[in-house]
Amino acid sequence: MLIRLAGGDVIDPVNGETGQRDIWIRDGLLIDRPEGETPDETHDVSGCIVMAGAIDIHSHIGGGNVNTARLLLPEHHAAHLPRPANTPLSNAGWSTFQTGCLYAQMGFTTVVEPAMAPSAALHTHLELADIPIIDKATLAILGNDDFTLSLLRDAKSSSMLDDYVAWIIGSSRALGVKVINAGAAASFKENVRSFSFDDMVPEYGVSSRNIVKSLQASVTRLGIPHPLHVHANNLGIAGSADTAAATIAATEGVPMHLAHLQFYGYGIEGKRKFSSEAARLAELVNGNPDVTIDIGQVMFGQTVTISSDVMRQFTAIGNANPKKTVIIDGDGNSSGGIVPYRYRQDYYGSLQWAVGLELFLLITDPWRVFFTTDHPNGAPFTAYPELFELLMSSDARDAKSTELNPSALELTTLASVRREYTFEEIAIMTRAAPARLLGLKDRGHLGPGAIADVAVYRRSKDIAKMFREAALVFKNGELVVKNGKVTHYRWGKALRLNPPPDKAMIKRMKDYHDERYGLSLDWFTFPDTAIARDDPFAEVPCNS
Amino acid sequence: MSVAWIGSQPVPLMDAIQKAAKLLASSHCPVFSLDADVHGTRSTIALAERLGGAFDHVYGETLAREVALFTDNGGMFTTPGEARRRSSLIVLVGEIPAPHHDMLLAWSNTQPDLGDGGQRAWFHIGGAAPASRATRQFNRQLKTVPITGGDLPLSAVLAGLRARLQGRQVTSPLANVDRLGAALNKSQFPVFVFSSTSGEAAGLAMLQGLIADLNRKGRASSVFLPADDDAWGTALTSLWMTGFPPRTGFANSLPSYDPVRWDTQRMVRDKEADLHVWVSARGEMPPKGRKIKLISLSRAEAPTANATVTIAVGKAGRDHDGVAYSSRIGTFQALAATERSSLPSVSSIVQQLARALPGRQDLPC
Ligand SMILES: [Zn+2]
Repeated sequence: MLIRLAGGDVIDPVNGETGQRDIWIRDGLLIDRPEGETPDETHDVSGCIVMAGAIDIHSHIGGGNVNTARLLLPEHHAAHLPRPANTPLSNAGWSTFQTGCLYAQMGFTTVVEPAMAPSAALHTHLELADIPIIDKATLAILGNDDFTLSLLRDAKSSSMLDDYVAWIIGSSRALGVKVINAGAAASFKENVRSFSFDDMVPEYGVSSRNIVKSLQASVTRLGIPHPLHVHANNLGIAGSADTAAATIAATEGVPMHLAHLQFYGYGIEGKRKFSSEAARLAELVNGNPDVTIDIGQVMFGQTVTISSDVMRQFTAIGNANPKKTVIIDGDGNSSGGIVPYRYRQDYYGSLQWAVGLELFLLITDPWRVFFTTDHPNGAPFTAYPELFELLMSSDARDAKSTELNPSALELTTLASVRREYTFEEIAIMTRAAPARLLGLKDRGHLGPGAIADVAVYRRSKDIAKMFREAALVFKNGELVVKNGKVTHYRWGKALRLNPPPDKAMIKRMKDYHDERYGLSLDWFTFPDTAIARDDPFAEVPCNS
Repeated sequence: MSVAWIGSQPVPLMDAIQKAAKLLASSHCPVFSLDADVHGTRSTIALAERLGGAFDHVYGETLAREVALFTDNGGMFTTPGEARRRSSLIVLVGEIPAPHHDMLLAWSNTQPDLGDGGQRAWFHIGGAAPASRATRQFNRQLKTVPITGGDLPLSAVLAGLRARLQGRQVTSPLANVDRLGAALNKSQFPVFVFSSTSGEAAGLAMLQGLIADLNRKGRASSVFLPADDDAWGTALTSLWMTGFPPRTGFANSLPSYDPVRWDTQRMVRDKEADLHVWVSARGEMPPKGRKIKLISLSRAEAPTANATVTIAVGKAGRDHDGVAYSSRIGTFQALAATERSSLPSVSSIVQQLARALPGRQDLPC
């Protein structure tokens, strides 16, 4: 099958200047214009913007904690308006099926679930397998489990830690490693209530910094393409900018990704002792080429916060809206908290909104700042179109600012920042850079050989509308969305690394689970066939 | 051996599929009562969506109570694995379903290796209602210290205990409450183990209130043990597929969750449905004396009484591989067949039913 997208304005910064050119697709891949062949299908996309399919590096779309949030909040689905569609289960509220459809309609074709507890990997992958159309991937959480902490306490060889990380990645089918408030969940079980970068985990005498640095080094040695993905300490707290600054300074020449930096952009100035430190953090990021960040933008309205940072979520119980929460002290890395929350246009909400935008606009390199709302923590991903508009239009920011709390905005630089993202910068931030950050060479651009994940947008003065309803979306060369509606259902894959497991580590894991849980290791592992879909996984190579 | 019947007559499988598909296609409101592994559940829910039907678990009554613990209240929880490794104080609350007794007895032979690492102490909070023989024997084996209040029901005992721990005067005395207070002070991570059969919703909300109190200064948590692991697995599967727990129905492909309206067995009783699809990989029989048409997918060697169509199915983890929830690990577990047989899986039969419907479309799962 040969498909031609004719006459669009192609925005593909990896492969050259923006300009009008045709895109050719054969058998799911992008190809150079074939000489003397007639396409089986031609789509006239003249006047439209053509980009690679977008990639979301951090969105909580499936797994135990997400599902517990659904259980806690059946009333929350009203927040997602049903859309007419004649595809199976795509009207199902806040479900896996709707997740795939809504992402595809916006031109997103790959999404990373960033917080998979390795011990519940099967659950996560079962959910991801029921997200249609798009490809998915997961980051495995490490850093709060007894096994890692014991290795670090006992100063075991770094190769043993590497073997463990490789076993976790392989058995949980992950694409990378994430630490979440490293050491805090373990400390919370020992009744520790606040935990900073240089605090020690009781019983182990291992600091959060030590955990982060050890895992960062291990990820690098193993050739895992995605740098260690760090959810830092003290999320959401006034003064957390100091923690973020210390974490940024700890890269020490090795790549590190800092998640949802907005939630750490807070100082202690002003009457309410809650102010913006975004400009300072942006400067630190600009000056440190080893650090990448995503934002975790706040948008207003009802949402639910879902986080494996159980210490932070426990502290937030008092702000729950509605007043019900779930707090889980899980084994190892499976802790978490579900706290529903409504972002109001009050002082706090306004400040958080502005901090996120400041970071977006003051961090200069679109290759190192990533587009997220930390779905659903800052806002559901369905708010993306409005967020694109805010980034691309200073008028839109000014208009929204008039509705917000002026004393909060006064403590930010937002009004003075007039930068507007270009389409090229959007294409880098949401396509090219995520592919590079995750080690996905086959996507994020429109060069020959890439998989044919293509999003076509109809130009409009209404930027949000343009990004909400893609004119056409192709996934692996299959037309899946037309005029903002899903027209074709297919099943994507979960992208994973597959480092070979070390035999001695398998034996060690068997003994550990036998001894500590009284259960054989096969209670915790699973074959690919357990997913019950054809080829549910696709392998991504490690760096050699 | 026959695997399909129309009425009481053995028939080839395809004939039974065709007949069942006809019934499904002509039904205005089919309801599904299901008991299957994750994949059987996924397919059945997908079929219910296609047909505009409603679904519930075979044990829907108990499951609805368990779901309500979360939708109404939430709470603080830990996993059995963490409780085993970390908790030196286990407090059982009310009746713990028999399938979980072995796990708890196994804990009693181990010592925590995390946290305070102390010798494990066991308490049991009970109400006036007489405990079952199994529970009495279980408590004896664990040497639990009983917390009771004469003729007070469990929820009143929990309320009294909570008040006492808050330092308030309580009119009705509770047995051994000071011992429990001392044990709570000593243990770094006490864990309350409960089930929906432990008591009424108000009592379990009180239990979570008590745990919240303990967490003001120290740590404590609870282990929730579902009455039936497969039913809980169906609830979790339904949540990701539809956004809602069971007792969900579809109208114009929009799911709606309503634990009263979509109680499938009530719908069958009240003839709100015109076709009942009974799915039991455990081979249980539907309630007798119902007047509407019945399709039965059951692990049976004989036709189901009063079923227009019966198709024999296997059970995941026995006849074929599958995936089921395990409260042992607090998540899903891949199951390998222990006695592999030719009985088809629920999922494969449901998919065949869907392909036999007008339109002949595959289900999404
Ligand atoms: Zn996150």
